[in-house]
Amino acid sequence: MELFDNLLIGLTTALQPNNLLFCLIGVVIGTAIGVLPGIGPIPAIALLLPFTFGLSPPSAMIMLAGIFYGAQYGGSTTAILVNVPGETSSVVTCLDGHEMAKQGKAGTALAIAAIASFFAGTVATVVIAVLSLPLAALAMKFTAVEYFSLLVLGLIAAVVLAHGSVAKSLAMVLLGILLGLVGIDVNSGAPRMTFGIAEISDGLDFVPVAMGMFGLGEIIANLERPAMMRVVSQSIRSLIPSRADLRAAFPAMVRGTVLGSVLGVLPGGGAALPPFSSYALEKKLARDPSRFGKGAIEGVAGPEAANNAGAQTSFIPLLTLGIPANALMALMIGALMMQGIQPGPQIMREQPQLVWGVIASMWVGNLMLLVINLPLIGVWVSMLKIPYRLLFPAIVLFCCIGTFGIANNLFNVWLMLGCALLGYFFIKVGVEPAPLLLGLVLGPQLEENFRRAMLLADGDFSVFLRRPISATLLALVAVLFLLMVFPAIRRSRQEALAE
Amino acid sequence: MNARRTDWQDLLFGLFLIAVAGIALAATRTLSGGTAADMGPGYMPRAIAIMLLAFGLWFSIRGLRRPFVGIAPVRLQPLLAITASVAVFALSATRFGLALSSFAAILIASLATREARPIETLLFALGLSAAAVLLFVKALALPVPIWPGAWF
Repeated sequence: MELFDNLLIGLTTALQPNNLLFCLIGVVIGTAIGVLPGIGPIPAIALLLPFTFGLSPPSAMIMLAGIFYGAQYGGSTTAILVNVPGETSSVVTCLDGHEMAKQGKAGTALAIAAIASFFAGTVATVVIAVLSLPLAALAMKFTAVEYFSLLVLGLIAAVVLAHGSVAKSLAMVLLGILLGLVGIDVNSGAPRMTFGIAEISDGLDFVPVAMGMFGLGEIIANLERPAMMRVVSQSIRSLIPSRADLRAAFPAMVRGTVLGSVLGVLPGGGAALPPFSSYALEKKLARDPSRFGKGAIEGVAGPEAANNAGAQTSFIPLLTLGIPANALMALMIGALMMQGIQPGPQIMREQPQLVWGVIASMWVGNLMLLVINLPLIGVWVSMLKIPYRLLFPAIVLFCCIGTFGIANNLFNVWLMLGCALLGYFFIKVGVEPAPLLLGLVLGPQLEENFRRAMLLADGDFSVFLRRPISATLLALVAVLFLLMVFPAIRRSRQEALAE
Repeated sequence: MNARRTDWQDLLFGLFLIAVAGIALAATRTLSGGTAADMGPGYMPRAIAIMLLAFGLWFSIRGLRRPFVGIAPVRLQPLLAITASVAVFALSATRFGLALSSFAAILIASLATREARPIETLLFALGLSAAAVLLFVKALALPVPIWPGAWF
């Protein structure tokens, strides 16, 4: 049984004492970030990237992945207790979770959210393990032609399924690709768009770009809004849900897990889509839909399960094909590249310990979250009381030191500042910066594969349509575009994404 | 003046894209494009820049024709304070050491909000810059001086 062998390799890697420690550090940092509003997982992971260079690749990825799903946990804690979603993915949890807290059932809501997440995480780990093998086998047949089409599909799908205007997101992807081309051309050695700056001859570092746009730009925009008063008044009585609660929540958990696992694999479906869809589904299936929004336990269990399942299965395209499903996964790809590992289909064969170690560590990490989070809830609540006026200068400082730390070079700090102003501009004109990051990370690969494919086909563009796998991938791109043009589907997408 | 007809968000984003495309085309004009079968270094940047130009023109024209959408007013205080804070850090970190530049960066960043309380901010800046030195220089061995003139 190859599957069990692989999971065994993964578990032995994940259970090594140092990897357990990094997993723990990751989930604790992640939860803290999820709890603290104003700093999301993207700048946090970007910030910590430079400090993972010294680690072995599996340890680094295990820790970064831990931050990612830890943040999802932390986000739902604040959603339930103070009606402030720590992350976009936990917006839905506010609806019924906070309502339950108001009714004095905060402990139950927190416990159900944690149990649902753990359940979903366990199932999703198995889903990843099962799906990865055939996908990786398929990907081994890929040449530059198929890989180019796959990259196009990945980028387009991420744009169409994520929120925001599709046309603007497409423009942002192109902008990202253009920025990704900055630096010395590997084929000819000619410097491109470097403007004589030596520091960018190896290309723009994506860490300062990500920190500037997602971290600092966001802070400047946040400070313009009037300060929110957050009141944590709920006392948590019992963390143990009653049997009736569990019975009501369990079917929702299962449905949420299935929905989340499927949607998570889709590019762009990583964060917002699964919980929203699950909430809509639970409301539709409920015998009495009017209970929703008034503290229905299914409204917490379903979306929380979907959220966590989706977060984990969004690693599938990354691990098997080297395609990031969203901006966060793009950062993960960047982390791999900084470790000297070229992401792509060969990674599963060449680095089984890395891939399966990360997969197994997700299950271990979910268990840790369940065990450490419920008893520690008081600590997280007290973190919520840190005022933003102290939080943001600290984030600014850590961003500065972190970007400096990538290459011990102050140029990156200036680059981050430029990107912060750019990010602020994007917020002002209502454009999502996430697609830019995808383009930036995938741009060089896109060009490399396009050039190689064209060289093989002697400049004949029809090669992308003559190869069956490539033609299928491009047909999917065409279908996505058609879907966007059809007004009925567009409307339902807007409804699904609307709060 | 047809002020009620301009979508400023679209228009500004469109103009921005046109500017970026223009800069990219200007910067790559000396690079050879090559042919599709044998691309030179200029092929892809130019192709992408032309697509960006098209998007930029489209957004600009659409912005002019769409009903009015304004830009939320820019508040200078946070914008300037954060910018200055990062700039001061970048200018001083290697020259005056991490301790002083962190301290200065936090103080300047705090000016971004009117809620800041002077004494609290001062104490917080002291504590945080000390923590930053301990964490980054002592624990994580970041090669940066702690004090002016002292590299070790």
